[in-house]
Amino acid sequence: MRVRDFFIVRRYYLFIFITLLLLLALVLMSLRAKERKGVEFFDALLMEVCAPAQKASTFVIKTVQGTFGRYVFLVNLEKENRMLKQKIAELQTESHRMEEMRLANERLKQLLQFREKNFPPMIGAEVIGQDPSSWFKSVTVDKGERDGVKKGMAVISPAGVIGRTLKIAPHYATVLLITDYNSAVDSIVQRTRAKAIVEGKGENRCQLKYLLRTEEVAVGDAVVTSGLGGNFPKGLMVGQVKKVDKKGHGVFQYAELVPSVDMTRLEEVFIIVEPLPPSAPREEKKVKKGKKGKK
Amino acid sequence: MIFPLLVGIFFLILQTTLLSYSPIQRVRPDLLLIFTLYLAFLFPPISGGILAFLMGYLMDLFSGNTLGFYTVSRPLVFLAAQFFKERFYLEGFSFQSLFAFAFNLLEGILIFILMNAVQPLPLGDLYPLFFRFLLPQSFLTGLATPLLFFVFQKGSSLLFRQPEREIKEGGYRP
Repeated sequence: MRVRDFFIVRRYYLFIFITLLLLLALVLMSLRAKERKGVEFFDALLMEVCAPAQKASTFVIKTVQGTFGRYVFLVNLEKENRMLKQKIAELQTESHRMEEMRLANERLKQLLQFREKNFPPMIGAEVIGQDPSSWFKSVTVDKGERDGVKKGMAVISPAGVIGRTLKIAPHYATVLLITDYNSAVDSIVQRTRAKAIVEGKGENRCQLKYLLRTEEVAVGDAVVTSGLGGNFPKGLMVGQVKKVDKKGHGVFQYAELVPSVDMTRLEEVFIIVEPLPPSAPREEKKVKKGKKGKK
Repeated sequence: MIFPLLVGIFFLILQTTLLSYSPIQRVRPDLLLIFTLYLAFLFPPISGGILAFLMGYLMDLFSGNTLGFYTVSRPLVFLAAQFFKERFYLEGFSFQSLFAFAFNLLEGILIFILMNAVQPLPLGDLYPLFFRFLLPQSFLTGLATPLLFFVFQKGSSLLFRQPEREIKEGGYRP
């Protein structure tokens, strides 16, 4: 009986192997969905092995690009220099105006007795690799758990929101960009304060979801973070409205957004490494609960 | 098995760094898929299948894909390529291109189906990706395949001497 079984196994070994391989892949999928520690540990280990080579490759590419940029492509330098000087003059004027506004803002804050909000601490990280597939949008950065980075932390740049950390290794992390289908950021339209969720749409585009039809939104409106999601501080630039469509039926209108950061040219990013203080509505809820408890 | 794995890691790094700096940003040939297809010609099903599984795992590791779709799709691509390799004439430039083009397209459709099965998304949002990414990427992968296959063939005597001999020996067995 055993000999017969052995021959059956030998005859169907390929079929058994394929089934086992696919089963393993599905089990891995399930473990990832449940965020099991074992898979995360193995992911981190492999990332630690591969990412240094990725970092070295990026360094070589940037060095070569830098060399060409500095010494070879100097054709339009004079024209660019003139343009930059003009830009500096414009920015200086704007800077003076901003300084005036800042001072006025401070005076008004004192008058209104506003509490000074400290911006959460951040660390700088370098982008060392892009997503290998075209379906998903992510980047790999050279900061990880040892630098205080944890899963779900906000990643920003001076121009605006970039995304949040997705997979963490001791020295490296993968950042899910806001343009990815799986990304969602709680936001508000700056001008009208209309609430919406910014969801990724692939490429370099996003869409505003759950934006009420009654809200007035126009092309060119700036969209900023609401601070309610818990990951991003309030008021960070997300992007500008590119298209608004109210033609369909339903409670919500459709709006398309262009992120303020060009996700295809990311080089350096900042990771907010400290959890944000609880937002105002949550505090209010706690106060209400406390009052109820006392009663 | 270790050497092809290292070659796979090398292609993954190329794909995530050098090719990402190309002027046509996200549309680039899938080098790892081409390598997986080449493995199908060179390796026996079990060791090749495990290698394809690992290639998929590596793809998932560095992508925003949280669940691991490529760990499922890459072994399937490998096994399908193994199944078809003896049924088609794959020596010429155009046949190799067409072969890689078809597999890239089919894998894209499989990923699309998996994405919709696991985390349902509005299909309308994903359709434009077929024309903006999948078709151009499949086309580029098809174009790059003959060139890379030629490089692999030239290097295979050095890289995969052992498995090649094994296949030849296996082929002549009665």
